[in-house]
Amino acid sequence: MLNLIVCVKQVPMVTELPWDEKRGTLRRDLAAGMMNPACKHALEAALQIKESRPAHITVITMGPPAAEEVLREALAMGADRGILIGDKLFAGSDTYATSFVLAQAIKKQCPDYDLILSGCYTSDSETAQVGPQLAEELDLPAAAYIEKIDITGRTLRVRRFVDNFRETLEMEFPALVTVAMENYQPRYTTLAGLERAFKEENIVSLSASSLGISFSTMDTHGSCTKVRKVFLRKAQKENIFLKGPAAIVVNEFLKNHEDKVSSAIGKDIKKEENDNG
Amino acid sequence: MNFNPCMKHKLIRNSVRHFAETELWPIAAEIDRAACFPVEVVGKMKNLNYFGLQAPAEFGGAGLDSISMAIAVEEISRVCAAVGLCVAVHNGVALYPLLKFGTKEQKERYLPRLASGEMIGAFSLTEANAGSDAGSVETTAVKNNNEYILNGTKIFVTNGGVCDFVLIFALTGHDYEHPQTSVFIVESGCRGFQRGEVEDLCGMRANPVSSLFLEDCHVPEANLLGKPGDGLKIGLVTLDNGRIGIAAQALGIAQGALETSVKYAKERQQFKKPIAAQQTIQNYIADMATEVAAARLLLYRACALKDTGASFSAEAAMAKLYCSRVAAKVTSLAVQIHGGYGYSKEYDVERYFRDAKVTEIYEGTSEIQRMVIARAVLSQLMF
Amino acid sequence: MGNQKSIWVFGDYRNYFQNRVTLQLISKACDLARRIDAEVCAVVIGHVVDEYIMEYTAHGADRILAVDHEILKNYSADTYLAVMENLVRERKPEIILIGATDFGREFAPRLAKRLKTGLSADCVGLDITDEGLLLQIAPSFGGNMLAEIVTPERRPQMATVRPGTFKEIPHNYERGALVERLPLITNLPGQRVRLVEYEKSAERQHTMENSSVIVCGGRGMGNRNNFKKLHELAKLLGGDVGATRPAVYAGWADHSALVGQAGRHIKPKILFSFGISGAIQHTAGVGEAKFIVAVNKNPQAAMMKMADVAIVADAGDVLNTFIKELKKRIRE
Repeated sequence: MLNLIVCVKQVPMVTELPWDEKRGTLRRDLAAGMMNPACKHALEAALQIKESRPAHITVITMGPPAAEEVLREALAMGADRGILIGDKLFAGSDTYATSFVLAQAIKKQCPDYDLILSGCYTSDSETAQVGPQLAEELDLPAAAYIEKIDITGRTLRVRRFVDNFRETLEMEFPALVTVAMENYQPRYTTLAGLERAFKEENIVSLSASSLGISFSTMDTHGSCTKVRKVFLRKAQKENIFLKGPAAIVVNEFLKNHEDKVSSAIGKDIKKEENDNG
Repeated sequence: MNFNPCMKHKLIRNSVRHFAETELWPIAAEIDRAACFPVEVVGKMKNLNYFGLQAPAEFGGAGLDSISMAIAVEEISRVCAAVGLCVAVHNGVALYPLLKFGTKEQKERYLPRLASGEMIGAFSLTEANAGSDAGSVETTAVKNNNEYILNGTKIFVTNGGVCDFVLIFALTGHDYEHPQTSVFIVESGCRGFQRGEVEDLCGMRANPVSSLFLEDCHVPEANLLGKPGDGLKIGLVTLDNGRIGIAAQALGIAQGALETSVKYAKERQQFKKPIAAQQTIQNYIADMATEVAAARLLLYRACALKDTGASFSAEAAMAKLYCSRVAAKVTSLAVQIHGGYGYSKEYDVERYFRDAKVTEIYEGTSEIQRMVIARAVLSQLMF
Repeated sequence: MGNQKSIWVFGDYRNYFQNRVTLQLISKACDLARRIDAEVCAVVIGHVVDEYIMEYTAHGADRILAVDHEILKNYSADTYLAVMENLVRERKPEIILIGATDFGREFAPRLAKRLKTGLSADCVGLDITDEGLLLQIAPSFGGNMLAEIVTPERRPQMATVRPGTFKEIPHNYERGALVERLPLITNLPGQRVRLVEYEKSAERQHTMENSSVIVCGGRGMGNRNNFKKLHELAKLLGGDVGATRPAVYAGWADHSALVGQAGRHIKPKILFSFGISGAIQHTAGVGEAKFIVAVNKNPQAAMMKMADVAIVADAGDVLNTFIKELKKRIRE
């Protein structure tokens, strides 16, 4: 039986981003959470593997207690077990620290894994770093942005499209992949699955101490980066409104913004004839 | 007493909302305009247990508690009330009475097919001369060996155009002066069963509401639900439950209208500021939000009571009365906030407005709900 | 020379002509180098790389570190990491900048982890703080927010930077640089990831993330035929077609064209938005479009308010007119 691990993250729903104007911070505590969309693709890839052969899926996440939600959702979609790593010590971890903690939990809770899958980026911090860094922590062969997975025996064959190259790569288990958004459209959650996910007692909670991680460990393995400030990107747009018949407004637009269009498309769009509006 | 939604309820809401916004939202306006039942999307809903909300897992259902059920109906209706209606009726007044009153054989025969959505259910009491007055149905069922022969015409049957399984209320005799009604499980393929044209209604247009004609319709005796003469009892219990579904539907419509209005009020500029900055609009929004919140609490209370096994008749009637009233009021204010645009089919509130009205009418009019509530209140010793 | 601070730029030369990110980074590195009194060093790993050594020199690098060996012919994270790690440990650069190409995004986090240092991703701005630290400005939430990040203690300070963020310095082939050709390390690890097949694709169906022109359509396109015309405009402009969720679910576009929170995060130079109301699920993916032209009948639509130019008209009419007009104007 294959042992699969999927790393997931709870991110704030973008529809609800309570912004604290005074402090210039995001009130994450007020924002409803959801499973990061890219992580859902990774979970879907694991579920499809499980549909084709005997497999066991462990979903692992690091976050506040409310992050249990994404684990339950993953169970509802068909995962078998959830691991929730939560500790004040880990709050505000960057990818360097996160990948360290995840690795410790994996070594402790499911050392006999064959394949680790993660999303290709998170919709909140957009770093796309935890997957590759986890591969480093666990010293695994890894491939990012994979679009297709084939397994023969203990050999993993993946396809991906990176920097205009279509590649087919092979590696042996255990390995790590980050899944691209191209394929593996996540399934909807069934209601029976959700009901079942709350009946089972298959979520393990791990704290720093249960992982043998202390304050001083985090001194060495903790975050290397520091976020000084987060701010809303201010759009400095003119926001010009054009009204009128299509022929007139289009010509007016092209006349006034010819340079913008030309430079974007790399072609000249100067008008030949007289301006006939 | 805990007023915070538990994690399960939150996830169920998110999950149904995600489905509804993804699959139903893009087509909701179109299927309303064309009065077209969205077979394809409903097919997807079947795979996700939306047609077996409270059916036990062993029959292929989701086995949800009543608040979860209400949340599911609410979230579908928030986006598309006509499909919410289909789900509410199927689960609330077709599957539920079978679960409650069906024999072991009847359950084995029909529950899995209903829970999977292979069969879509309907409930059929209303006739030309029998609406609120359930005792005056004129459809007859005459026993003939091990069959009943049904004759009559049913009207305004929700899901009528697509149902495969209908509970038909028919007169089976008289008990002294009192008409004796019974309930029959009728399959749409049954000889003598015919559907009428889909009604051209003001709202809920994507639901194929139709008449059903029974002409010497042969129904096996094994399809009698409960005992002969149980009609009234089954009807009352079923409608109690159905009211929770309709209340949830009304609440969903109100919620949808409220959210749309909030968004619009913040966007729409008049006098060089968003109309949300006008106190009048703020008052509207405050009232809408308050009433929607109150309606939700009333509904969930009825659901929680139902799950304890206690009688929830008055509580369900209160929830239905209030939620539907709030829906009608909130959608009307939503149109008001949208002004001329709200009266146009380009905006969803026009549809919400049309859809909301009928929630005050079907599954017992508001007048009937008040009757039920008053009877319960007046019969109590202390109040 | 020994204590000279150095800013390194990883020489990512794959797709050299389309992707000038390395040159852009060398240019920015020159800026930063002046502020902290450092040299700019480009690292080139591969086989037969003289062309790139010449280019990087011409575009402003002071020093080139080149490891040229047949075994390094193909891009491979395993081997490139080992070579790079070794170089960094030996020479201790102050800053390493890496282009946020697909390879760079896979390579940089692993390198940072090996070097036990921090990394910020996909930066859209770089600066030097008063304390002399590298200030890394990275986007989050689909570019709707920006974060200022520093790596206070660990070295090197590392950042990946999006292609197109900085302007390259015009080439000057008279320029000289100190070119060091270094031998391959002796303990190169085996490749655990085997490259079975690869081919360079002339174009990918959807390169929307890199596309400089995107034409997006939403529910306001009304029907499939109108939506189809977006492709005509996109073709004229050499861009891609994106879609909102309603358009995808109406079956007018592929899911892979979905732009927004659950789809693609695009950053074109110009975005044409037709019949899109601008639900946040969609706008979360377009925050980084440089110039937005929105067309909608409803002037109140959120998309219209975030546009540089908002055209209040029927999306279909305007689309047709654009196609007609541009056909006249664009001469190949």
